[in-house]
Amino acid sequence: MATLNEKKTCSERMENFRRFVWNPETKLFMGRTLINWVWISLYYMAFYVVMSGLFALSIYSLMRTVNPYEPDYQDQLKSPGVTLRPDVYGDRGLQIYYNISDNKTWEGLVTTLQTFLTAYTPAAQHLNINCTSDTYFIQDTFDGPNNTKLSCKFTSDMLQNCSGITDPTFGFPEGKPCFIIKMNRIIKFFPGNGTAPRVDCTYVVSFLLYQQGDESRPLEVDYYPVNGTFNLHYFPYYGIKAQPSYSNPLVAVKFLNITRNEELRIVCKIIGAGITFNNVHDPYEGKVEFKLKIED
Amino acid sequence: IQDDHKLSASELEEKYGTSIDKGLSSARAAEILARDGPNALSPPKATPEIVKFLKQLVGGFSILLWIGAVFSWISFGIQFAQGAESPFDNLYLGVVLALVVILTGVFAYYQEAKSTNIMASFSKMIPQQALVIRDAEKKELPADQLVVGDIVEIKGGDRIPADIRLIFTQGCKVDNSSLTGESEPQSRSCEFTHDNPLETKNIAFYSTTCVEGTATGIVINTGDRTIIGRIASLASGVGNEKTPIAIEIEHFVYLVAGVAITVGVVFFIISISLRYKILDSIIFLIGIIVANVPEGLLATVTVSLSLTAKRMAKKNCLVKNLEAVETLGSTSIICSDKTGTLTQNRMTVAHLWFDNQIYSADTSEDQTTQPFDQSSSTWTELSKIVTLCNRAEFRPGQENLPIMKRVVVGDASETALLKFAEVILGDVMNIRARNKKVAEIPFNSTNKFQLSIHETDDPNDKRFLLVMKGAPERILERCSTIMINGKEEALDSEKAEAFQTAYMELGGMGERVLGFCHLYLPESEFPDSYPFDTDSTNFPTSNLCFVGLLSMIDPPRSTVPDAVSKCRSAGIKVIMVTGDHPITAKAIAKSVGIISATSETVEDIAKRLNVPVEQVNRREATAAVVNGMELKDMSLEQLDEILCNHSEIVFARTSPQQKLIIVEGCQRQGAVVAVTGDGVNDSPALKKADIGIAMGIAGSDAAKNAADMVLLDDNFASIVTGVEEGRLIFDNLKKTIAYTLTKNIAELCPFLIYIIASIPMPIGTITILFIDLGTDIIPSVALAYEKAESDIMNRRPRNKRKDRLVNEQLAVYSYLQIGIIQSVGAFITYFTVYAEQGFLPSTLLGVRVNWESNAINDFEDSYGQQWTKYQRLYLQWTGYTAFFVSITIQQVADLIIRKTRRNSIFQQGLFRNKVIWVGIFSQIGIALILSYGLGHVTALNFTPLRFQYWFVAVPFAILIWVYDEVRKLLIRRHPGSWWDKNMYY
Repeated sequence: MATLNEKKTCSERMENFRRFVWNPETKLFMGRTLINWVWISLYYMAFYVVMSGLFALSIYSLMRTVNPYEPDYQDQLKSPGVTLRPDVYGDRGLQIYYNISDNKTWEGLVTTLQTFLTAYTPAAQHLNINCTSDTYFIQDTFDGPNNTKLSCKFTSDMLQNCSGITDPTFGFPEGKPCFIIKMNRIIKFFPGNGTAPRVDCTYVVSFLLYQQGDESRPLEVDYYPVNGTFNLHYFPYYGIKAQPSYSNPLVAVKFLNITRNEELRIVCKIIGAGITFNNVHDPYEGKVEFKLKIED
Repeated sequence: IQDDHKLSASELEEKYGTSIDKGLSSARAAEILARDGPNALSPPKATPEIVKFLKQLVGGFSILLWIGAVFSWISFGIQFAQGAESPFDNLYLGVVLALVVILTGVFAYYQEAKSTNIMASFSKMIPQQALVIRDAEKKELPADQLVVGDIVEIKGGDRIPADIRLIFTQGCKVDNSSLTGESEPQSRSCEFTHDNPLETKNIAFYSTTCVEGTATGIVINTGDRTIIGRIASLASGVGNEKTPIAIEIEHFVYLVAGVAITVGVVFFIISISLRYKILDSIIFLIGIIVANVPEGLLATVTVSLSLTAKRMAKKNCLVKNLEAVETLGSTSIICSDKTGTLTQNRMTVAHLWFDNQIYSADTSEDQTTQPFDQSSSTWTELSKIVTLCNRAEFRPGQENLPIMKRVVVGDASETALLKFAEVILGDVMNIRARNKKVAEIPFNSTNKFQLSIHETDDPNDKRFLLVMKGAPERILERCSTIMINGKEEALDSEKAEAFQTAYMELGGMGERVLGFCHLYLPESEFPDSYPFDTDSTNFPTSNLCFVGLLSMIDPPRSTVPDAVSKCRSAGIKVIMVTGDHPITAKAIAKSVGIISATSETVEDIAKRLNVPVEQVNRREATAAVVNGMELKDMSLEQLDEILCNHSEIVFARTSPQQKLIIVEGCQRQGAVVAVTGDGVNDSPALKKADIGIAMGIAGSDAAKNAADMVLLDDNFASIVTGVEEGRLIFDNLKKTIAYTLTKNIAELCPFLIYIIASIPMPIGTITILFIDLGTDIIPSVALAYEKAESDIMNRRPRNKRKDRLVNEQLAVYSYLQIGIIQSVGAFITYFTVYAEQGFLPSTLLGVRVNWESNAINDFEDSYGQQWTKYQRLYLQWTGYTAFFVSITIQQVADLIIRKTRRNSIFQQGLFRNKVIWVGIFSQIGIALILSYGLGHVTALNFTPLRFQYWFVAVPFAILIWVYDEVRKLLIRRHPGSWWDKNMYY
């Protein structure tokens, strides 16, 4: 088989390329006449205008079909996620390490909590109503202003010792720090099946044992509000459009007797029907896990 | 060099420890065989397998993928050192990329090895046989079993199985053209005539042919130690060069790699300037490379080519080199041999002349009767001579075979006559038995006739019948009467004139003419017991009665004229190159249409106008018959002029070396040249040609080694089928590539939009690999089964400089039009999935950093719901799956539109190519399995997708179809228009 290989020198290649860009004999610019370039550009412009139109039309009709109050599906939101404040993430998840005697190590944590709780000041909550019932706050109608639904008030004072009002340092300098547990919002989710879900924090003796069963030990903790429950009248959530001023209920956990200078693995689960915490892929579903180390 | 030719027979016996009568003993032969190895040319030294394999690993897109893999590992290394959360993703990605390269490499290697194996098995298929004396017995042995010292017998038509010192000859002539290029048969004898073993008459060389006569000789060299073996091993150093399709594919790889690297680098710079981290930018780069590279395509091309090669093998074209499949399709000149390729390679009676009239005989391959008028009693007499004056015999045991297929012992003319007689008269052997032969003078070159004397089969007729055949003029000299309508008449000048006219006419048709005469010997002079003596010729050999003429030719194969006219309409010039006489060559060329009925050569014009040849305007002649002697004296310019100016060319009396000159001349015209050849000396021409075609039956091993393709049936028509297949595969590869390239845009856009708009990643790198190497593979192979859209044999061969496999139109139409529609369709699905799960399109813009942050586990969607990282990630995978499914669905439409480039799908038929449907079902099947079957394997990033999302992209799939139909309609309606020029690929 014979060769068809034409070995070209670099200068020949450059010359060929230059000729391709502008060929003075045939008056071709990049292989086309200028008028041809105009035509082809016009065609593509028209083509892309039509395609953009189709795209816009599709998105428009998509928007017309979706419900503005709640999504069509909640395939991934079967069980709520749980988050912790203050939240400092290390290489392997949440890591809260601080030194009692070094202000700098915990001031940041305290500020996080304070900032977080500004959303729960009475002023911030003034749009919401006071709720007293201990049952689900079901609203089938739009009773709130501007065609919205009402939301229950949750103010930081409900967290008592951990509210930051009495103790603006949230017990961090004393080695009895407060942590705030928050459950993610899911529209029309009824946690606990009539019983208020509660937070339960334990520490894990060894990760291996923990995986095998409940080899977790109780901790000496105070929960605020009492028993660490999320009152049922905060549920269900009707979505941002129906309840624009809704704020998640919180539970504060105050660790009273943390061994110093030792890394503790703490798990705070939310106990309640409908809340699962055994998804191996998701460490934040129904529970929050973090490492705590207090040095002095 | 040896001096065996100087030794006497007994000295030779001694030297080789053999006996001329008894041959070697089997045990001794086995010993020598073990020492010397088989009597075969060792094949040219092959590239080591490991080198072939490594070449597959770095060829094509592999380099790009290796770069991707290395980048993955580097980013894994960095992330691992930094202790990031999930560094192993990149490690796996790198491993997967490396695996892709290795697997496609293994696949390509396997394919190549397979096609090499076909070739290897083929060369064993038809072993040459040799008649050997061993253990004092004659045996048929495969020629490769011969050893030095064997005594072999050779007869006309045989190929010489080794270098042989002749010890007995009878009228032996050999054709040394494969060795010396001299096509004139040379006589061989036992005498030592020249010091140089190459010149002496008592040595016959391996792979030359014995043209006529018989001989016995001692094998003095076998295998690579033969003269030819030494030449062949010298010639086999030529490297392989690139085929047109290899160049096209290289061009395409450069194009795609260029796009990949350009887009990759541009977006690397963009992402750096958008303040992405270097590491992230590298990961984007990998994604862009993977999206741009059609990983499965080269494997698909290989499969398509080998499918075509298989199809061609069924039609008797065995392709040694897969890429040669397409080369054949782009062929613009075929230089064809005459004998065996255009013709049937056997003499056949074509015309008869008796009773002052020329009759035509049937020369087709499978004659069972002869239609000419056989009522004249002259014919009865003529048939008797034809039957009796003939030494050829059928090999026994072939009664059930058609006459034309039976093997005959005897020379070509005698065979023709024997078969001719057998067809008309039936059972010739029985007729001969009834007319017992009492004396015979075999043909020799001095008297140029053959004579025999027979008893008659009429018991009442005690006369002897003397029959004679030979060169017509010699026969006529010996005749005094001529038989007309069964009656003997005096041979006057008028009748002699008639004979001359007939003889000239038959000779002018390039036919070999034989004269036949007889004489009934009077009973009184030659009684029953008359002792006929052929040495003293005690019987009359003159004043005989002339009966008739028979002329023979090696007739064209019946399929050839059709094939030649097909070539003509396909714009392929057929040039006949033969060692034969110009008259014969021209006659055959005319009868097969290489020289068409209306065209004339310069000589014809000169004859018609009755002017000297020099005065004829050469431009007027479309045909040319060039003699090898003229060619020898021609300058290159003169040859070019002939090749340029004449559309119908025959080269006669050419040597194999001149074939090379002709091939080079054709290539100077920019043609893609196919050359057929069979001799050892054809190998340079076969190698030089763009595609060398060796003859499977008549071809020498050297020719087969040098060729790219082997014609199993030696039939020219098979080349034409090959051309058709080659053209079809070129068209179909275009379709395959267009199909494969399209989705690259739909795979690439997600990365670009992800980088620019910071939306959650629409499709993962692994997912892309599942499209490229999963769903898309079978459909793209299925396009290789597509039938031609129109008669591809009615257009000109492709211009290898202009008609690229992947041209601008193809790339632009696939990338910037269909690809864009696909991307839009896929993005609509993506946005639909996210919107229906809570993330409206407006929310998605710019969320990338928070979305991917492991530290945010209460990410808010458009409805105020909050998502953990894993919940988002799972949604992202659902997005991948949705995007993947949309591309797959739209690729179904893409597959359907790619069935044709010009015709409507409805013209082509949706169901004619069943394999397309296999492709479509496999595509959807694989997608279903990935989503629902493997949706729970987190490493693959697939999820069980809600069923309705499979249909979101369907309108866009329909749009693709409609748009392409409109494109094709406008192309058909307005050929040559702006639209045609820009939209037809």
